[in-house]
Amino acid sequence: MTITIINSPVTVERAQSVARQDLHTEPWLVRGIIIGVAVMFLTVFVVLPLILVFSEALSKGVGFYLSALGDSEALSAIWLTLITAVISVSLNLVFGVAAAWAVAKFEFRGKTLLVTLIDLPFSVSPVISGLVFVLLFGAQGFFGPWLMAHGINILFAVPAIVLATTFVTFPFVARELIPLMQEQGSQEEEAAISLGASGWRTFVVVTLPNIKWGLLYGVLLCNARAMGEFGAVSVVSGHIRGETNTMPLLVEILYNEYQLVASFAIASLLALLALLTLIAKTILEGQIEEGQLPRDD
Amino acid sequence: MTIEVRNIVKQYGAFKALDNVDLRVADGELLALLGPSGSGKTSLLRIIAGLDWPDSGEVSFDGENALARGAGERHVGFVFQHYALFRHMSVFENVAFGLRVQPRAVRKSEAQIRARVKELLDLVQLDWLANRYPSQLSGGQRQRIALARALAIEPRILLLDEPFGALDAKVRKELRQWLRTLHEEIHVTSIFVTHDQEEALEVANRVVVMDKGKIEQIGTPGDVYDNPATAFVHSFIGESIVLPVDVSDGQVKLGHRPLNIDAGSASGPSKLFVRRHDMQIGPLGEGALEGTVRRVRTFGPIQRADIALSGDDTLVEIDAPRDRPLTTGDAISLQPRRYRIFAGQE
Repeated sequence: MTITIINSPVTVERAQSVARQDLHTEPWLVRGIIIGVAVMFLTVFVVLPLILVFSEALSKGVGFYLSALGDSEALSAIWLTLITAVISVSLNLVFGVAAAWAVAKFEFRGKTLLVTLIDLPFSVSPVISGLVFVLLFGAQGFFGPWLMAHGINILFAVPAIVLATTFVTFPFVARELIPLMQEQGSQEEEAAISLGASGWRTFVVVTLPNIKWGLLYGVLLCNARAMGEFGAVSVVSGHIRGETNTMPLLVEILYNEYQLVASFAIASLLALLALLTLIAKTILEGQIEEGQLPRDD
Repeated sequence: MTIEVRNIVKQYGAFKALDNVDLRVADGELLALLGPSGSGKTSLLRIIAGLDWPDSGEVSFDGENALARGAGERHVGFVFQHYALFRHMSVFENVAFGLRVQPRAVRKSEAQIRARVKELLDLVQLDWLANRYPSQLSGGQRQRIALARALAIEPRILLLDEPFGALDAKVRKELRQWLRTLHEEIHVTSIFVTHDQEEALEVANRVVVMDKGKIEQIGTPGDVYDNPATAFVHSFIGESIVLPVDVSDGQVKLGHRPLNIDAGSASGPSKLFVRRHDMQIGPLGEGALEGTVRRVRTFGPIQRADIALSGDDTLVEIDAPRDRPLTTGDAISLQPRRYRIFAGQE
């Protein structure tokens, strides 16, 4: 005798869907553990510190918070940080675009070396970057005696802070633009040139619009780092109160003097900057993707 | 405008892209540079456009040294293989670009520019796309806009780099026709680069066949097909049967078999080239070659047969009219009606 089992279509379908689910997702326990670990990690390392910075800064009330920020030393640090960021970001904007242009659009000897050099500030500890400037411009340094004889102050003054910041943040713009420009090739520029446009006009009307979002992205990261730079600036600044302290340096000084609330008030500004940078970065990433519509060839 | 290219040499490292190239292009001609990839055809085009510079040699337009001028001063319209449209500009602004960047002294007024762009978009039959962006166009439309943009500056010469290379077969065929009609209308001296022999033979007045940085042959499409100057041209253009032969004392031998055909000027180890449709089929004993039919296919008016030659069983593919039906296993003779023999075994 034979027994025939006829599967109704419904049961077959259900069996298949259960099987499919098993193949493509993890059991809920595993999922729960993994998500839990990720959330915990983020909370402990990112969310909690951020909350702490702001709650500590505001722990003695808004009035105290504002007066800590309005302190003359704090104002001078904020001002110095802004000046430094504006100068070094503009310098790196020009250097970065020039370097990316050279690397992406031309073939020449030593190109690999140039690309490696552009990355150098990323691979060297910021303290070393600062020390290099001490060795160059310090009293016993390479240019030191000459500078002293002519009464020019670089080390332990604003110029050294700007130089060190510029050096440390140099790669951001170039790094962002090189792959973008390489991917875009130089045919549009060639087309513009053969239609009679000058080199400058081609750059402004053809190249710049094509890289604008990537450029802005690079500038944003460059700016965030320029304002937050500690190591290199700490070495060259000399920590002269009210004169050569940037915001990150002032945070440290205040902290060491147990002025916790004032210290966190300044830190909260830097944290705010980080948050704004993050938001702007997310928006820009969307724009860059949109600008890179696939060209069907 | 006539173009004259003399002794052009261009080297990329150890690779010789152009090796002493000479070329004259007559006024109003539509010339094709045809060759496999790496033959130097695009390098030559870019040098004429001023987008690349030769290591040595001369380029002149109407007898005037072109190398003394930059790309922007040569009044050359260049159409790129991948169109190179300005992606952030509308179709209208793309076409207007060449007019807008002219020096102030000769620049047209806004109204004149609008009229000219309209005229060009009408010419390429795409006036309805003026406000679109390049990413919203099909490949064929982009190519026509690229052409309109190049024509906006009233170029003295039009250069096209693989103009239809990135398009699908059907669009390519339409655009070919269209390009030829357009050339008859505007009659500007034009050179286009292609690796597609059909395209070159169908569109151009004259074809320049290139290989390994040298010009192999220059001639009308009929000429390069019927009278190939070198073994390379014979095998590159059209399908050929190629047999290794040996020529001594004016006698052509395939293996040990004398073929009783004229050797021409060749001697020593050589190659016999015959077009597939130039093999006459006859009964045994009436032709230079003999063989057995292995397989027959029919396409419309012709039948294509694989013939195994007696001796070493070399397979050759021939095209014959269908008036003499072939069947598998037939023993037949083959006589080349037209053929060429080129010395050398390469």
